[in-house]
Amino acid sequence: MERSPLVPDPGSAASSPGLPRNLGLPEYVTRRPSGFYRTLNPATKLAIAALEVVTVFLVPGWLGPIAVLLVLAVVAAASHTARALAVIGLAASPLVISIMVVNLFILPGAVDPIFRAGPIAPTWSGLWFGLLTSTRLLVFSSAVALAYVTTPVDDLLADMSRRGLGRRGVFVVGAAVQMVPRTIERVGEIMDAQRARGMDTEGRIWRRARAIVPLAAPVVFGALTEVEERTMALEARAFTAPGRQTQLRVPADRSRDRALRWAALLALAGVVVLRLSGRVG
Amino acid sequence: MSAATAARTTAAPTIEFEGVSFAYPDGTQALDGLDLRIEPGETVAIVGQNGSGKSTLVKHLNGLLRPTAGRVLMDGEDVRAVHVARLAARVGLAFQNPDRQLCAGSVKAEIEFGPRNLGIRGAELDERVKAALDAVGLAGEVDTNPYDMGYSRRKLLAIASVLAMLTPILILDEPTTGQDARGVARVGSVVAAAAAAGRTVIAVSHDMRFAAECFGRVVVMRDGSVALDGAPAEVFAEPHWPELRAANLEPPLPAVAGARLGLGSTPTDATLVAALVELAPERG
Repeated sequence: MERSPLVPDPGSAASSPGLPRNLGLPEYVTRRPSGFYRTLNPATKLAIAALEVVTVFLVPGWLGPIAVLLVLAVVAAASHTARALAVIGLAASPLVISIMVVNLFILPGAVDPIFRAGPIAPTWSGLWFGLLTSTRLLVFSSAVALAYVTTPVDDLLADMSRRGLGRRGVFVVGAAVQMVPRTIERVGEIMDAQRARGMDTEGRIWRRARAIVPLAAPVVFGALTEVEERTMALEARAFTAPGRQTQLRVPADRSRDRALRWAALLALAGVVVLRLSGRVG
Repeated sequence: MSAATAARTTAAPTIEFEGVSFAYPDGTQALDGLDLRIEPGETVAIVGQNGSGKSTLVKHLNGLLRPTAGRVLMDGEDVRAVHVARLAARVGLAFQNPDRQLCAGSVKAEIEFGPRNLGIRGAELDERVKAALDAVGLAGEVDTNPYDMGYSRRKLLAIASVLAMLTPILILDEPTTGQDARGVARVGSVVAAAAAAGRTVIAVSHDMRFAAECFGRVVVMRDGSVALDGAPAEVFAEPHWPELRAANLEPPLPAVAGARLGLGSTPTDATLVAALVELAPERG
């Protein structure tokens, strides 16, 4: 008789004392993250990220972004995510450059030119404001990205479900969170397919502009088709059936998580109150 | 297709993979020191288990992927330095998933996309579109929106859109997936017609029967290199079954039947029937 995949082979390593018991379950069920930050409950990481974002934007001047940046640097080093955050920072570079250029040259009210060359007059005020805004943007995106790259989407959704978000809400959040990596993957494949049919995506700018429609159409139609297929696949597996769903994996929510979460939420509220009362800024 | 149009298909080059290795950014070693030579006009089926490097291999031919070690040569020229858009004039690749490729609002516009990128216009373009539609049996669908078609017909359309480019090398990635018997036969006839026109045809497939019936050579890949290489009668012969099974492949049914009946290597329906007729001529 064929052995059930859920029953370990008595002679296998999985059944040996002292070794982790992999019962043939999928990796997303048996996965055990390691390290302090990675093992935090997803809701705790979201609360910390929310505090970081509020601090970056509500604490005036450089204090907020620099303080959060230092925290992020320590956590990123400890959780081995520095490289991923650097890539995300690099992806934001076009936006950073445009912020710098706009503020450097046309910051309203700036009257302290660094130099003048005809109509071109970059200002010190514009330079500092551009740097501050860019830093805020990079720290903000890094704070959100850190929570994202250290939290498997399955864990985030399972935790939300456990907290009573409801299966439709969980589906919406899951689809939104997974949309970006899925779209990136799809765009890569579509670009390969169109380049294989002679579409030039590496030539002059007007040639690249012409490539937008052949790239965009399959992305949009593919996404719509996928939504339809996923919806039917969910329905076929009793997604809307009444009754409570079984959770295959529930992320741990330890006392340290609860303490950290409360601390983060209280600190967040404190920053908001101080800002509104005018005690900072 | 007119003789003039057919003549525009330049001669197929010799393809050589010399010690080609390729690793994806996540560290997956997809190709591992692969050596392979494909002569002009050959029909080659590349088979192997999932993750054996089949699709990675063919993407090296049109420069979508560049080897991390080794060289890919076409008529002795290293393709590493050649722009993908230029290689597209020599290598046509129909992707596994048609929905990653189809971008136009009508079947006609979809088929025109590739040839237009190669600079084809006017009567020749019309002729190519008609020939490609005829080849895949979609002649009555000129104005249909591709997204109104079923998966199997979208797949045939994707093949037609590459056929119309008249590249000397034609690559089909999993062309029979989702096709019924008639669709598989249609793809088989596309392969035969392209080969008859002197084009090199390479197909990545999990369909052993299709590989045996429609191709003169079968290359079995395992762990990023070539495990078996030869004519279907050699590759699917009983002594190689352990190697096939090690690559998660099963020999086609006629090969198994022929071996069980002691008829030798009979990888196709035709060879099996011929062997049976020979065995019992009075009933043939």
